[in-house]
Amino acid sequence: MPDFTPQNPKQVWQLPFQNRNEGAWPMAVAFLGSDRRIAAGDRDGRLLVWDLAEPGDAPSLEQQQKTPGAAPAPKQSLVGHTNGISRLATTPDGTILVSASFDRTIRMWDAAAAPSGSVDVIVDHELRDAIAKKSGKKTDDATPATKVESLTSTHTLEGHKDWIDSLSLSADGRCLLTGDQSSLVIAWDVAARKERSRWSGHPWNWVVATALTADGETAVISEYRYKRDDFDIPCPALKRFHVADGAEQLDLLKVQFPKLNPKENTYGSAQVWRKFVANGLVALDISPDGKLVAAGQGGETDTGHVHLLEMETGKLVRTISGHQYGATDVKFTADGKFVISAGRDTVIRICQVDDGKEVAQLGKPRGGQFKDWISAIALSPDQRTLAATDIGGWVHIWTFG
Amino acid sequence: MIDHLSRRTLLKGTLATSAGGVVMNWGDLFHGPASVAAEASPTKKRCILLWMNGGASQFETLDLKPGARTGGTFRPISTNVAGAQICELMPKIAQQMDKLAVIRSMRTSEVDHPGGIYLMHTGYRPTANVRFPEFGAIIAKYNGREATDLPNFIKVFSQADAGAGFLGPKYQPFGIGPEGSLPPFSASSQSPEVESRRYQLRSFLEETYGKVHRAETSKMHREAYEASRRLQGVRKVFDIDTEWAKHSELYGDSVFGRRCLLARRLIEEGVSFVEVSQSSYDSHADNAVWHKALVPPMEHAWAGLLVDLHQRGMLDSTLVVWMGEIGRTPNINNRAGRDHYVRSWSTALAGGGIKGGQVYGESDATGVDVKDNPVTEGDFFATIYSALGIDPKKENFAGVRPIPLAPFGSKVVAELLGS
Repeated sequence: MPDFTPQNPKQVWQLPFQNRNEGAWPMAVAFLGSDRRIAAGDRDGRLLVWDLAEPGDAPSLEQQQKTPGAAPAPKQSLVGHTNGISRLATTPDGTILVSASFDRTIRMWDAAAAPSGSVDVIVDHELRDAIAKKSGKKTDDATPATKVESLTSTHTLEGHKDWIDSLSLSADGRCLLTGDQSSLVIAWDVAARKERSRWSGHPWNWVVATALTADGETAVISEYRYKRDDFDIPCPALKRFHVADGAEQLDLLKVQFPKLNPKENTYGSAQVWRKFVANGLVALDISPDGKLVAAGQGGETDTGHVHLLEMETGKLVRTISGHQYGATDVKFTADGKFVISAGRDTVIRICQVDDGKEVAQLGKPRGGQFKDWISAIALSPDQRTLAATDIGGWVHIWTFG
Repeated sequence: MIDHLSRRTLLKGTLATSAGGVVMNWGDLFHGPASVAAEASPTKKRCILLWMNGGASQFETLDLKPGARTGGTFRPISTNVAGAQICELMPKIAQQMDKLAVIRSMRTSEVDHPGGIYLMHTGYRPTANVRFPEFGAIIAKYNGREATDLPNFIKVFSQADAGAGFLGPKYQPFGIGPEGSLPPFSASSQSPEVESRRYQLRSFLEETYGKVHRAETSKMHREAYEASRRLQGVRKVFDIDTEWAKHSELYGDSVFGRRCLLARRLIEEGVSFVEVSQSSYDSHADNAVWHKALVPPMEHAWAGLLVDLHQRGMLDSTLVVWMGEIGRTPNINNRAGRDHYVRSWSTALAGGGIKGGQVYGESDATGVDVKDNPVTEGDFFATIYSALGIDPKKENFAGVRPIPLAPFGSKVVAELLGS
């Protein structure tokens, strides 16, 4: 497995992925086999693929932001989802992209398939607005649109009856795990495209994050639900399961709070776990060796940290990172030495697992509460490129080393 | 008319102010209890207010804009009224749409919470000079029962604090905590024997004192004490545990569901106005997520309440009002939230006096403005009073100033009224 080197991070690309619809910003990102092929999905169900040139050929970021045609245009539009795309994952060989959606389906896409047609997409509304403002004219939202290949999914996995918020793919590419907002978790056999097992959490809760061990045999599930009232606050859950049969193996939250009563929903009971969970442990990942789980505190909160917990015992090893207003995504590097986290503070932070020390910071806190947060991150298979989506409607690409 | 004024009536024509001073309430001299009783509608309809504190989003509840720039993440679903669609988060209310009159053209005048809460409880904007009463107090006055062991105006976890305003302490709300339990001070800490002896002694002293000092405040104090004693005999009404097991499915297993069941029980026992609140709609951040958490238990309870009232034959005599203090913006900010908005938003009425199965008014394609039939706060309250058989032009007096129940110029929305 290649080592990750956090030195000399440099942002090389800034791809526009904007949408006129309110709140329809990009929420998911993944690499497709190489560090030059990227997919991102937004809350409108748009799923686009970009092919990038060599980083050395990239125009300056300012040019990409302000000059029409300077930023790479998407190459493909993967058509089919009818509501927001929450998470993306790619099989290790880079051939299959998997998308989870609020439309209650999971779709699988063959990245090398022949296009089914072509569609017009517009992704650069901000630039169009800026040009129109300069010229004193009305924004042109029609021409010239980018014509891209359209691709339909090869398979649709159905089984969820509510928004699918979370998706994980095992490192061996054989097991897929999805969780929805009715607290249902489904484990899928990727090759057969069939359910392996399913289980449910507390009926009031949502599955807000999932993580799988490399062999796909063990899962960690984070359940959370925003309050139903100030005095009706469901108890969250963080548990380890045996994937084959959905058997619960360990209640990691109960390890932290032995007196926790999952049935309690009072204001007082929420004070027990609130500091640890914040507004949901919305980002999870398991270290490549299967020994640690990283859980990021999300929702809008004071500072969202990342807890590192022992998989075997649930014991808290340390709490690292810190994103003002909350974390949104977390990833172990392939060598297991670093945790990369993203947050509402518009920053990506890279911390050492061994001592929690922050060794790099991508982006800068853009100040104030009312700024666009980073919604998702992905690391390329060679560990040399990182992609991140933000809710301002951009996909940022950094290289390392 | 003046000839008939007794000293007692004259004393009653004073109003205690919050600072402890007294101003004359001359107008009320001519509108004593007898005339109030005569003004009260013989139908005596009751009212339940379902209050969405913080301001629920119309885009995520009753006025969806599918395909519009401002539409958001949720999709519309059909209801049991042809052509009427509401949010997918409300499947149970969708099946009760034939009982609802949804107003999609609210345009009100207070955009922040304190002012909005005051406005949508009184019909008036806050002013320094007049303490307007909440509509619960007005309904208690005109449709409440004179001799009753239960208060006529009960609030379950309410954030409003205007109270009875210039109507005086008699119509002040009785507040219950968020869990629906009676406040600790409502029960005596003494044994029944000790309590009885204390009561006899207290009555003797009160009676003796009252013969010499006939101040209205003393009388009100005695009345309040008597009311709290009478409440002891009906405490069981507030204990919903026995009935909850049977009704938890109907109302949904939530704290708000329990509050709604309590509201039905109180109305059934003759309380004229009950407010039930659900908190936390002020979704400046994560609007969609918050509404996905808040709306399902709320709509389950709301639908359960309508079904329960209907099955018990109480819906025709009980007006159910659904609203918050504000709506939410068409734009979604970069905290994924919607902010305050009062230029175009939604409320709903059902039951007593309302013609159900309709959508009144319309917002424009993006929900930015009212397209037709705007309904102001005044129009809204005038319609509520009319539905309850109370003349919205009826005047009360703040000092010498006549104040109509609904602000001057308010219009009753006749299309909303039915049987």
